[in-house]
Amino acid sequence: MELRQRYEEDLYLVRGALGWTALLALIALLALLPVLAPGYFLYTASLIAAHIVIAVGLNLLVGYTGQISLGHAGFVAVGAYAAGILAARLHLPWPAAMAGGGLVAALFGFLVGIPALRLTGPYLTIATLGFGIAVNQVLTNWEALSGGRSGLFLPKLAIAGTRLRDHHIYYLFAAIAAAGVWVAFNLVRSHIGRAFVAIRDSDIAAEVTGVNLTIYKTLAFAVSAFYAGLGGAMLAYLLGFLEPQMFTLFESVYYLSMIVVGGLGTIPGSVLGAALLTILPQQLAGLKQFLPLVYGATIVFVMAVEPWGLYGRWLRIKLWFKTWPF
Amino acid sequence: MALLAQYVVGGLAVGSLYALVALGIVLLYRTSRILNFAHGDLATFGTFIAFALISTAHWPFAAASAGSLLATALVGAAFFFLVIRPAKEATLLGKIVITLGLALILQGATAVFWGTDTKTMPFPLSDTKVYRLGEVVISQISLGSFAVGLVLMAGLYVLVQRTRVGLAMRAVSQDMVAAQVLGIPVRRIFALTWGLASALGAAAGILLAPVTLLDPYMMLDPFLKGFAAAVLGGIDSMPGAAVGGLLLGVVEALFGAYVSVKFKTTLAFLIIIAVLVIRPEGLLGREYKRRV
Amino acid sequence: MRTATRMGVLVAVLVLVATVSVGVSQERGITDTEIVIGSSQPLSGPAAFWGQGVGGGMDAYLKWINDAGGINGRKIRLVLRDDGYLPTRAVANVRELVERERVFAIVSLIGSANAFAVRDYIIENQVLWMTPTADANMWAGFKNKKYLFVGYPGYVDEGRILTTYAAKNEGVKSVAVFYQNDLYGQKGLLGIKRGIADTKIKLATAVPYEVTDRDLSGQAVKLRQSGADAVMLYATPTQGALIVREMAKIGFSPKLFASFTLADPVMFQLAGDAWNGVILTAYFPVPGTDPKVDAMLDTLLKINPQLRQSPFNALAGVSFLEPFVEAIRRAGPNVTRDSVVRALESMRNWNGEVIRGITFGPDRHQGLNRIYIIKSENRQYKKLTDWIEYPVGF
Repeated sequence: MELRQRYEEDLYLVRGALGWTALLALIALLALLPVLAPGYFLYTASLIAAHIVIAVGLNLLVGYTGQISLGHAGFVAVGAYAAGILAARLHLPWPAAMAGGGLVAALFGFLVGIPALRLTGPYLTIATLGFGIAVNQVLTNWEALSGGRSGLFLPKLAIAGTRLRDHHIYYLFAAIAAAGVWVAFNLVRSHIGRAFVAIRDSDIAAEVTGVNLTIYKTLAFAVSAFYAGLGGAMLAYLLGFLEPQMFTLFESVYYLSMIVVGGLGTIPGSVLGAALLTILPQQLAGLKQFLPLVYGATIVFVMAVEPWGLYGRWLRIKLWFKTWPF
Repeated sequence: MALLAQYVVGGLAVGSLYALVALGIVLLYRTSRILNFAHGDLATFGTFIAFALISTAHWPFAAASAGSLLATALVGAAFFFLVIRPAKEATLLGKIVITLGLALILQGATAVFWGTDTKTMPFPLSDTKVYRLGEVVISQISLGSFAVGLVLMAGLYVLVQRTRVGLAMRAVSQDMVAAQVLGIPVRRIFALTWGLASALGAAAGILLAPVTLLDPYMMLDPFLKGFAAAVLGGIDSMPGAAVGGLLLGVVEALFGAYVSVKFKTTLAFLIIIAVLVIRPEGLLGREYKRRV
Repeated sequence: MRTATRMGVLVAVLVLVATVSVGVSQERGITDTEIVIGSSQPLSGPAAFWGQGVGGGMDAYLKWINDAGGINGRKIRLVLRDDGYLPTRAVANVRELVERERVFAIVSLIGSANAFAVRDYIIENQVLWMTPTADANMWAGFKNKKYLFVGYPGYVDEGRILTTYAAKNEGVKSVAVFYQNDLYGQKGLLGIKRGIADTKIKLATAVPYEVTDRDLSGQAVKLRQSGADAVMLYATPTQGALIVREMAKIGFSPKLFASFTLADPVMFQLAGDAWNGVILTAYFPVPGTDPKVDAMLDTLLKINPQLRQSPFNALAGVSFLEPFVEAIRRAGPNVTRDSVVRALESMRNWNGEVIRGITFGPDRHQGLNRIYIIKSENRQYKKLTDWIEYPVGF
């Protein structure tokens, strides 16, 4: 797009007066959302925040490192349940429980990353899919750990004994999501992110140029799983209740469609995709049995018309305006 | 011992159906490198077409089956022309997501056309009529679908290995550009493969329907298992799909019987992961060594 | 980041689109001509069969009520939303129903996970909640039930009664259980275990399945190997029919007992001749045994012929609504939450067209505390016992 002449320019997250104005406007808008939007939308907005965290993490793994995961709901479940158990059984405060959720999921990510060192394409797909199914069945049947199908109740989010209301939760989640997006932006521009991209484009070439595949592939899984676990912990606190059937293959597919529809290998794409695919089924809930038809057709249409996702379409529109009228 | 044999027979019966599902997935993957997640829903759609032809239009079973295979093949080919080909810029994963979208559309359409209630599929073989081999019982329907499955597999093998069309399919799968240069009508081969794979799915669905009953979500589990079987056997190998399906059926049955019913699917998948870690290309797979 | 700002604009537009607020009236969901109620059901996805039956039944029943002039001059409008059986969407639906559609009451809501996820919100916002469609035993010991009324049986009580009947009246000595591995099946199993402890018979084995399982041959062999003389089913119609056929296939024909969810006439179609001589429970008279229920079913089918595929679920939907509609009638022209609660709490052994024997009171919000036993014979259900009561839990 714009020509960048110095390396420092490439490092700036926000460029120019226009960029800063737009960023400030966005922050102001998100800050004012509780005043502008009705209460029930704050729940949806909080849900979007949790999905953004999950989608950004998944995009780091799939879009940037090129490792397909069809079991991401497994990581989300691990994070959600770890947070739930830490909070409900060990009575840890919520910041510790949420961080714990992310960390436990990251550990699982690291473990799943090990067999992934040898597997590619469909073989990796089936391995991650198996992981997702395994997590679901263990949570369903190991009742002493998870509460099984009776579920697990979480304590309400509170600061110093005061329960957080809808708009507090929204602010908290929006802040976490923003932090997650900011870290991801920086990560992909660091040497780690470049190593991820090198692995995606050709792992053999990356290895030849000195990228340690063992370290960076497992790291990609661990980082992605951390995001998934953190998002899972957010979901857990948002709902206040966990049940294994919330984390099935359907959810894995759902998260995957978010990043593909939004745009693979782009952070803004993950955000767009997460927002769109959270709002879409909710707004179309009145369609009843026609929902899968419309939902599926939307995905096929977006992908057929714009293989690079919504973010790719946005870049093209921008380019068109930049070069207009030529 | 008789008990063990009974479990194995049950495993083989369901495994042959997994194999049939796996074959469709493999056939499409080796030619076009697309993992078709709509395979299960195409199969369900085809099965419902057969159901409609039998129960509403009163066609005889054989004619209805043939009609359903043809219709499903057309749906598959149409999908290639209407969506996959225009979206040729999409990444591998993008194409997977397109097939997921198609799966949702087909599932939705099936539910809207035929309702979500469970139906019984009229079938010429009986599932309560059984044959006994010592203490081992096998139903007419299992035996019949096992036989039909073997015939279909053999026919497919001949088609791919012994005919000109099969040769063209193999050529396209090895190097699309070279095949095109040599004058192979690549687009038509792709469309044919989509049609053939979809018809195979419909055949699997029709054979499964009397076992699973008929509703829009009947192929969920069989598709997943068929997919796993395809990968286990090696996603580019047709004999691998057959072996993978039968093996998965038996392993799953034995695990359910002697270890734990609750962790049946988990253990099946863990075994697959273990096998893949030792042989990353699947049991009979033969991924080409990459050159950098 | 510049692009992120554009996303902000998009989010803003979406927010504005969603911000369509509705005028505020005196009592939420009540006008002079209308009462708005809401429900969230699985209308798409693998549980859609259930939600379409129940939702369709409720819709058709209300149409029948409204066509006859409504209640005290008011029509009842049902806002039905699809949750795909997912708690995240059920929560969003219920919040939109309450805050945007401003419904007066929430009726039903299928599945214990969904009920658990929306429970605190509904209770805290003091929304009237009629009969969440999940195990009634889950509410025992739960506080703040002022606006919660349940006219649905508890699976634990049901399992205990069914087992006691099997032991005492059918001479069953050892039982094998085939159950769905979720709260429904697990609570049923718990009830069966209690019944077994009461009657000192034997539990031969308990074999679970998952809702997605379609190959049940292994489970059938396990049930046969247990040597039980009776098998109890806590299953959906699909898997219930499949296991019965699989057992017939391997030559195992025990006495069959089943939960009321299988008292669906559709079982005769799915399981065929194998569904003969099965002993089940029922919490409202099943079609074919009671003229009032048959008349109601005819009415529903006239309004929506598609309900022919799930007569039991459609009637269940009616049974969830009936006490509510009666309470609106009793509350008279001045409908408020408190007047409806008072009307509900005044019901003593009230009979609707479908649901029977509903009793609520200031200290009693479990309206239903009885079931009875039926048997399938020649594609018909036949009443075996009178109502059998169980203790009221809340």
